[in-house]
Amino acid sequence: MTSSLEPTTLAPTVSDPSDTLAPARPATAALASPHALSPAALLRSALDRVRTARPELADRLDLSSAQALRALRAGFHSADAVDTEVLAVVVVGRLDLPRWVRETCAFALTLAPEARDAWRGSFTRTVFLAGSPANLRERFTFDHLAGDGSVAWCGPAPGAATATLRRLLKTFEAGHELTATPAATVTVPRTVTASGAGWSRPAVHRDLYIATAGVTVAHALVHINHLLAEAVLDGLIHPCDRLTLRFVPRLTGLAGQFAMLRVDTDVHRPDELQAYAGLTTEI
Amino acid sequence: MKVPPRKNVLLAPVTVTPTKPLTPSHLKGLLWTDVMFRATVPLAKVTYRYSHTTYHVTEQTVGFWEYLDRTRGGTDYAQLSEEEIGELYVRYRAEEQPQSARALRPYRDAIGHSGWTHPASRRLLELWAGHYERLGMHDPGLREHQPPGLALEEMVEQLSATGLVLDQRDCGGPVYLDLTRYGMPLRRIITSDGRPNYLACALRELLPLVPWYDEVVLLYDRELDTDYQLLNRILTRLGPKVRRVPVGRVPIDGRIASARHGGWRGHTAGVLLSEAAETCGDDTEALRLGMRLYFVATLGPGQRESFRHDLLRNCLTLAARLLKRSRAAVAAGTGDLFDALDRHRRDHTYVDPYRLTCSLLGRGRPAPDPGLLSAVYL
Repeated sequence: MTSSLEPTTLAPTVSDPSDTLAPARPATAALASPHALSPAALLRSALDRVRTARPELADRLDLSSAQALRALRAGFHSADAVDTEVLAVVVVGRLDLPRWVRETCAFALTLAPEARDAWRGSFTRTVFLAGSPANLRERFTFDHLAGDGSVAWCGPAPGAATATLRRLLKTFEAGHELTATPAATVTVPRTVTASGAGWSRPAVHRDLYIATAGVTVAHALVHINHLLAEAVLDGLIHPCDRLTLRFVPRLTGLAGQFAMLRVDTDVHRPDELQAYAGLTTEI
Repeated sequence: MKVPPRKNVLLAPVTVTPTKPLTPSHLKGLLWTDVMFRATVPLAKVTYRYSHTTYHVTEQTVGFWEYLDRTRGGTDYAQLSEEEIGELYVRYRAEEQPQSARALRPYRDAIGHSGWTHPASRRLLELWAGHYERLGMHDPGLREHQPPGLALEEMVEQLSATGLVLDQRDCGGPVYLDLTRYGMPLRRIITSDGRPNYLACALRELLPLVPWYDEVVLLYDRELDTDYQLLNRILTRLGPKVRRVPVGRVPIDGRIASARHGGWRGHTAGVLLSEAAETCGDDTEALRLGMRLYFVATLGPGQRESFRHDLLRNCLTLAARLLKRSRAAVAAGTGDLFDALDRHRRDHTYVDPYRLTCSLLGRGRPAPDPGLLSAVYL
């Protein structure tokens, strides 16, 4: 359920700090140059994410290459990282991507400050499971439930807290390649945030670019989930913000627009990085 | 005397896929079911449902057929023994390359549309029918086309309506049987590329059948217990009393191994029947009763005891003695037969084959009633 993957393998439905290079912290400055999606910028974005999540590891960072980054994440398997790790569990019954995007933001917005910090420190680790929330509600308490009951969230919490649920369900499988659909705009719900954050500025509108070529639905969820969760935790997404989902084969030719990227091993070239999703600056 | 209304009982044992020889484990399950069926018939209206057609679409069967056609071309299977076909099955299971859903589709289509059966399996079923005949077992339609009542999609639709399946094929996922509301784990029944497993087949067959019965008896290998608990829960919702009867397998030299590994060599039904004939000579009745005394009463419902040729021979000899005494006894009346069978029903309608068969044994027992032996064991 929480298996580790080889460094060159994309995490299918389990996202693990030590398995994925994953999205960057708010990186407007870092990505502001016209070559924002250059290999160096992608690497910087991935390393920024590590710094944000685990600042104590900053000294150990080797900024030289994607390969060095892989070696670094292999080090995350150390026992001290596992002891403090928390994970969120997402139970997917039916998937409607725009709705799921909206609810993913809502879930992250409801987290208390301690939970936010712990989850950020665990690289917003999330396990996606196939399951019907309606059939599980009598036995399990969910921390967040989509309005139509299609998806439910638990945690973030130490793995033991969701062990029974994870034993009952199966890893979410969705092997179809993500298909491009017309752009869709969602509004982040006016969630009551435990921290009180999110009311300090007027709502804004951003584009959420999602790569489709060679990306399965299951992989896309992992990428978008990290990006959105970390954007919320870092204060980039607030209640009532609008997000327009835009599907493109690859995030090329879009340099200079991104406030945050989700970066992982390139789908074609295992020694290089690729941006799988990106949240633009305000539009 | 007021006669209680006869109940409708469905016996639905797990089938043996016609890809290998019948082994002691298979014989045990088949004889167990046969005794249950024939002992229950005088007391209730019994349907013995055993459709190979339903399960041909499972991976191990269509996969074997595709393998044979790919590697053996136009082999004349009618000339092969069940052991020879079994050896081909062992080779198929040792093949490491997975078969694509696309490669298997023509086979699944042919089964669904025309009831086609590959000649290798047709040959096995023909040989098995011969074994059934020698063992005096009721043939529930081994070679008949008995399609399940529901198409695969109809089954999924019916269960979806009550939230009992989770269908994630729209995004490239599988179909699961979903009884998580009862604390039972999610179970995949159709893979993301459309391959049904045996549980999906069982549901296609049983969902439309069971509402017509008062009692449904599921006989299966102990290893399948988790799946049969799921099946039990679903079928119970449709009305009947569902009884699960797990039957332990028969270890060979202490090992319970799947037929795919070929551990059956020297222990197939054909071999055992030949050896039994040496002990029984022309006494077919002793062979039939002796086989039941061994596989039902001696081995019992568990699976601790390995197969033993010497104990089987003892049972055949004992059967001959019992038959001799029985022939000398006066046949009991119909009412006595009813009582003799009814005693082994407890709270269910079906007759417990183990208890009934054990009742024939033991020192000081009266000679078995010829009517009982003829109705159930010969």
